[in-house]
Amino acid sequence: MYFQQLLLLIIHQFQGERSSTAPYYLLKGKKSGQTIQDVTYFNLHPYFCLYPKLAKETYDDEIVKLLTQNFIVMNESTISITEKGLHQIVSSRRPYYNGYKLRGKEFVFWGRMELIVQTLSQFQENEKKFVPVQKSNEIHQFVKEFLHQRDFQSSSFGTNFKHQLSDLLENPHLLEIHRNLFVYRLSGYKNSGLTWEQLATRYHMTVLDVKLLFIECLHILLNEITEEKYPDFHALTKNIYVQNPLTDSALKSSKLFEKGYSIEAIARIRFLKENTIEDHVIEIVSVDPNFPIQSFISDEQVQKVLQIAQERQTKKLKIIREGVPDLSYFQIRLALTKGEEVNG
Amino acid sequence: MDKLTKVLTNKFGYDSFREGQKEIIEHVIAGQDVVAILPTGMGKSLLYQLPGYLMEGAVVIVSPLLSLMQDQVEQLKMLGEKRVVAINSFLSFEQKEMVFRNLSTYKFIFTSPEMLQNERFNHALSSIRIAYIVADEAHCISQWGFDFRPDYLRIAKWLQQFRQTNVLALTATATSNVVKDIKSTLLMREPYEYIHSLDRPAIAYEAVEVENTQEKLAWILGRITSTSGPGILYTQSRKKTEMYANELQKRGIRVAYYHAKMDQDDRILVQQQFQQGQLEWICATNAFGMGIHKDNIRQIIHDHIPTSIASYMQEVGRAARDGVQSIASLLFTATDVEQAFYVAMQDFPEEADIRLAYKSDNIQLQLPETTARILEYWKEVLTEQETTNLFQTIKQKKWTEILRLYTILQNGVCIREQLLHYFDEQLTTRPVHCCSKCSLHINEIIDNRKQPTENREELDWKMQLDKLLRS
Repeated sequence: MYFQQLLLLIIHQFQGERSSTAPYYLLKGKKSGQTIQDVTYFNLHPYFCLYPKLAKETYDDEIVKLLTQNFIVMNESTISITEKGLHQIVSSRRPYYNGYKLRGKEFVFWGRMELIVQTLSQFQENEKKFVPVQKSNEIHQFVKEFLHQRDFQSSSFGTNFKHQLSDLLENPHLLEIHRNLFVYRLSGYKNSGLTWEQLATRYHMTVLDVKLLFIECLHILLNEITEEKYPDFHALTKNIYVQNPLTDSALKSSKLFEKGYSIEAIARIRFLKENTIEDHVIEIVSVDPNFPIQSFISDEQVQKVLQIAQERQTKKLKIIREGVPDLSYFQIRLALTKGEEVNG
Repeated sequence: MDKLTKVLTNKFGYDSFREGQKEIIEHVIAGQDVVAILPTGMGKSLLYQLPGYLMEGAVVIVSPLLSLMQDQVEQLKMLGEKRVVAINSFLSFEQKEMVFRNLSTYKFIFTSPEMLQNERFNHALSSIRIAYIVADEAHCISQWGFDFRPDYLRIAKWLQQFRQTNVLALTATATSNVVKDIKSTLLMREPYEYIHSLDRPAIAYEAVEVENTQEKLAWILGRITSTSGPGILYTQSRKKTEMYANELQKRGIRVAYYHAKMDQDDRILVQQQFQQGQLEWICATNAFGMGIHKDNIRQIIHDHIPTSIASYMQEVGRAARDGVQSIASLLFTATDVEQAFYVAMQDFPEEADIRLAYKSDNIQLQLPETTARILEYWKEVLTEQETTNLFQTIKQKKWTEILRLYTILQNGVCIREQLLHYFDEQLTTRPVHCCSKCSLHINEIIDNRKQPTENREELDWKMQLDKLLRS
């Protein structure tokens, strides 16, 4: 149910201008020019790479369910929300996600938290030998360092850590279900966390819904964790936010742009098509508002495109081009990307 | 206190050795090749761990099962040993390079058979001192073994560069044919052999023939709701594990299912819940069991005929580690024999597959992974005709073995005696509670189940947090 709501929100935001696979690639975090560019076009940052492990069958099943309930309509090239579907989402709660910046790395934070709680719990009961729930060596190393830098065996550290955790979980942005999922997934001395399946049964939800709520919980919490307010937790967020959101290929092109090469020159140097380099420009512009685009399109032209898009209520390139036949599709895409930045 | 016992106490926290352990360890330290067959739960890991502390150099353990390797590394780390590393396909290229560079700093080096072909690894190994080499789960070497891993056969070639190093082969179950294979593949010279009795007197056997699946289900639900666990219900498909768990949950049993398709983190949680007693029962495929450290499992139920006698013994052997009376029950119908054969043959190459393998160089895409791997190995060493013959023979043997198990369950002869006989062993003392063919008084073996304890109170995160951490 929750996943369906999320899909409806995303489909709504695509404004009927993308095909039925677009939401899937968005949630998977596909690193293609198209998907990345759409993120900016349609302001979909919260949902990008929200669930990298999403199976195509699971997604397709849910789409079929939405279709049979008449919440959406579909043809070969587009998917869009219906009146009935729209009604579904206006009444529902808006989820909070930060997919674009986190890209699944919230689970690195979670892994660290989980292992720290387990370690503290075991040590408090003086059972210092235990099997860690976390199997990743990187997380083991991280937690080991984290704990050794602090006086973790002292009772005050444990008490303080618990106090901070309670305080964090009391945050009013969280729902009660978020708090329960967070705490019941944790393991400690003589107390193992619950599986997704067990939590789903408790809440009469699907496993996928429970997982998405859990991810939302982590995103909300991470947003609340600042160095001043939660210094210990802040340390656990090290390296989880994406530093360079560009694809590897776009990054290479971006470095060549910095050196002053033109699109044509970069295409030649990299043995790529000019189209591809143009995709890179769009990708770069969507993450870096300061990237100079004057050599590709003038400010007036950008304004003109945005004005047409506004008047005709569309982002369809073909329709817009009717108003500016002298511009290329690339220039129109560039203008639209720039436009989203200004608005967003 | 002698030197061995001292290490046993200081490093491992035990006062005395179990039967056979000391002799085996002494032979390892003396530099002799050793084959040791001990049932699961009889302290096998100690055999390769302890001598390491009394000898110079690293212990290299070849282990074919990745999940087991992980568990063994964890167990050593729990003992406070930090010089442990597992080298397998889970490591990234950089991580491997890092480990190879520092190989001499490790005392226990675990590796998978695939890695033995890695030249960088072999190069690194050649520059360090090796105390001895361990072949764990050695039955996987034998094509007659129930868990044959063709990659493991490559160990023979690999061992040639370590002719001076002695080898310790460990397994829980092996027929005499398998032992023969192990000795020749591992190039052993007059090894010391220790074969522990496979008999587990604390486990009673029960075979129940029923008419159909409905009867099976009714029997199983009846047993689990009326008697006490902890227990494992083994079944053959993921779907069935979920079905049983669901039916039992409805009846107030604290139960979870377990199979290989679950998320890794959920698998770990289910294991821990079972170990800590939060769960009474697990409904599982044969993916469950390895690395379970739980002494008080009272019941093992099979709803099918397993595909081999050795794997049945391993699964049953997870009960009664603490020596307290337990029971292993197996339910079957007349058609289960064919079903078992079908399951056993699932990844088995057909003649057409063999033909394909010899014609094409790229069979991974066309055949199941296990099948492709097995054929790729044989293609290197045998002709097409030889391979075809080989698999015909193996198929025949498999069929015979499954039939044998069926006969053991069905005839009027003592189950325990027959199982031991399969492994060339005679029963010396018959326990009071032997098997359903001899005498079985179920009430004397397991307790009645106490009232359902499954309580479904509301989730309360504050309360739960208080349970985890002190204020």
